[in-house]
Amino acid sequence: MDILIVMCIGILVGRVSILRRAKKKNEYLSLFCTFILIFSMGVMLGKKDHFFEELSSLGLTSFLFFLIPTVLSIGLVYWLTRVFMKKDK
Amino acid sequence: MIVFLTILSLVSGLVYGYFDVESSFISAITQNTHIVLYILMFSVGISIGMYDGIVQKIREYHIKIFIIPIGIIIGSLLGGIICSMIVKMPVGHGTAIASGLGWYSLSGATISKLVSAEAGSIAFLSNLMREIFSFFIIPFLAVHFNYYTCIAPAGATSEDTTLPVMLKYTNEETVVLSVLNGVICSFCVPILISFCLNIK
Repeated sequence: MDILIVMCIGILVGRVSILRRAKKKNEYLSLFCTFILIFSMGVMLGKKDHFFEELSSLGLTSFLFFLIPTVLSIGLVYWLTRVFMKKDK
Repeated sequence: MIVFLTILSLVSGLVYGYFDVESSFISAITQNTHIVLYILMFSVGISIGMYDGIVQKIREYHIKIFIIPIGIIIGSLLGGIICSMIVKMPVGHGTAIASGLGWYSLSGATISKLVSAEAGSIAFLSNLMREIFSFFIIPFLAVHFNYYTCIAPAGATSEDTTLPVMLKYTNEETVVLSVLNGVICSFCVPILISFCLNIK
């Protein structure tokens, strides 16, 4: 819940027109934070015993978690847009 | 470039952690990731707040703008439920992983922090795959399905990284819907993850 409150505060701050000049800097800040978080995640995984042995099973599981939700999203969006959004292509 | 730097960050973190190198500066960062997460969410909020004319575009499309994100979210959640049954994982964790909607950095880092490193890395890898494979799936969907469906695999990334592909293979209307979908999905990702992790 904390992160949602922080994001909502960010949305309000983003409406302030004076900050629009710093749009690019804000994008860099997002990227920088993202890379730090991913690096930290890597450190945590690297320190974990037997992580690299588990990586092969995680890879297959990850592929499954990519494939099934993506295929179902495509199927559902196709059906919904065929029914509710007549004008396409 | 971003995908490359993301992979580089993960690999360098893995190497650093595996060889157990001691650096007080890096340890201070890795032990206070919640502060970095707050800064990231604040920055994401600013990006959403900066979108001009979003209210006008929402009025123009009425309820139609919600059809695509609803389809993406429901499809992803159903997929998460099916995957959690296949790999015998708690449904809350499985749906939280699928709730990343392609936003691999946020979902990977958040789930890693709130659940476990393994669940975080599955979220990271599966959502990274979703973004990478979207570049190849979108042109196929544009030919064999319809333009709106091209937004589905992109999920939350439809407002930024996959937008150039959308511009190339669909039309202006779809691109506008793609941006709006990305904003809606990006807003929903942290909400969905929090909600799914509270499922008992």
